[in-house]
Amino acid sequence: MTQSYLVAALMGSVVTAIVAYFLHRFYAAQATTRIRVEAHARTDALAQTQARRTEETGQEEQAKQELESAIVDLRDDLARQIATTDEIRVALKTAVEEKDQWTQQARQIADEASRLKSLAATFERWHEQMISLMTQNQDMHAKNHELSAIVRHVVIVSLNASIEAARAGPAGRGFAVVASEVRELAARSEELSKSYRNSLHRNDLTTTTTFQDIQAGGKMITASLGSVEALANQLQSKLH
Amino acid sequence: MISSQAKDSIERIFYKAAQARLPMAPGDVCDIVPIKPGSVAGKGAIEARAKDGGATQAGRPQAPTGQVVVLTISGILFRLMLLLHFNEDDSTRDYFVKDDAQSTFGEIVAEISNLCCGAMNQELLRYFPDLGMSTPYMLSAQCVPHLENLKPSYLSSYAIQLGDSVYVAATLCVCAAAPIDFVADVSAVEESSGELELF
Amino acid sequence: MAKILVVDDSSTVRDEVAGFLRKNGLDVDTAVDGKDGLAKMKASPGIKLVVSDVNMPNMDGLTMAEKIRGELANGAVNIIMLTTESSPAMKERGKAAGVKGWIVKPFKGDAVLETFRKLAN
Repeated sequence: MTQSYLVAALMGSVVTAIVAYFLHRFYAAQATTRIRVEAHARTDALAQTQARRTEETGQEEQAKQELESAIVDLRDDLARQIATTDEIRVALKTAVEEKDQWTQQARQIADEASRLKSLAATFERWHEQMISLMTQNQDMHAKNHELSAIVRHVVIVSLNASIEAARAGPAGRGFAVVASEVRELAARSEELSKSYRNSLHRNDLTTTTTFQDIQAGGKMITASLGSVEALANQLQSKLH
Repeated sequence: MISSQAKDSIERIFYKAAQARLPMAPGDVCDIVPIKPGSVAGKGAIEARAKDGGATQAGRPQAPTGQVVVLTISGILFRLMLLLHFNEDDSTRDYFVKDDAQSTFGEIVAEISNLCCGAMNQELLRYFPDLGMSTPYMLSAQCVPHLENLKPSYLSSYAIQLGDSVYVAATLCVCAAAPIDFVADVSAVEESSGELELF
Repeated sequence: MAKILVVDDSSTVRDEVAGFLRKNGLDVDTAVDGKDGLAKMKASPGIKLVVSDVNMPNMDGLTMAEKIRGELANGAVNIIMLTTESSPAMKERGKAAGVKGWIVKPFKGDAVLETFRKLAN
């Protein structure tokens, strides 16, 4: 019994082995096919990838060239910018120097205006002299007035003389003529004195109005110079 | 050389200044009448106007007496002289001189004339930015007829009545070095006098 | 010692202004022009307030103000101009000279009394 068992078992295992062998070969073939397919696929994929990579490399190459040319452009731009900046720097320096000059000139204008304002002292000096002139004029008025009084007195004296001459009769005729001439002279002196008084009044008016014009004119100039000085100071502070 | 509208303007400015500064109290009568230059202001001028109802050349031709206050406003192209004659009589003295005043009549009328001319100066400054004004000076009234010798471009006289019985004669004399033309608007109400402007 | 100095060549104005201030209890001295005003400032260091005209002979008010600040080196005293002048150029010059305030004549005492009192203290 054990022998047939063993033979059966052996036959069984041989069959199994043969089946297994054929199965194995079948599966191996399948596996091989599968592997082959996979390998093909992989190869295809690799080829695709390779192609893509090549394309990409081409693109990158292109990009790199574009970047390089962009860099060249940028370098040119930068060079131009640097040149422009240098020009601007020079212009700024010039402007700053000019500004300094203008500031200095504005200060000079302000100083000059300030100095000219002291002209006011000149006008005050002239005022004193005007007072002196007017005082002299008053003096002349007074003297003329006195002269006038004397002349009037002379007229009275000559009238009295005429009366005395008349009283003296024919003997007084010569005296009467003299008295009459004196009266004539007195009348002319009176006229002259009036004319002189007139001239003095005209002189007073001209002197007074001239000096008032100088006084008022001086103030006007001082005020105008004050405006100039203020403007120059404003300009100075703006330039700072 | 002074346009007629400039002459009118100067007259308007004078009227405004006189009415603002001559009366001692703000509400007082201040009547102004144009008269022939050189004539004496008095009741005659004012009464003549009442009769004729218009500006008259009324004035008695007699030798002027007393003194005038003279002031000058100088600009670049012209100068304006204001001469004010106050009668030194009792009514005038009573009107202008306050009881406790220590100043003389002459000093008081000089100051009033100064204020009047100052008001004209302020107004003229609106049209002529560069102006200066002199201090007042007293001259004999007999000097006034000689204004012609200054060869003025504009000369006019006025009789002014203040209150009941105070008469003032005013003369405006303008000498111009170049054509003057401007129009004055005197309608602005004067507010700023007397107030302290702090800087 | 006077606290206030009134400077004007017109005695009318000096009477009016100084009289008004004295009536209101203030201590006032007067001067007749810029030169006189300057001399009085030198002589009385106690002056706290100067009220001055602009148009005066011998030395005008603004020149006097400039000299008070300059030659006398007095920066403390308050200076108020009382004048017929009102031009902006004049006021600018006043400001530059250290003037504290400006009054256009005529003088109205009541309006400014309190301010004057303060400035004189």
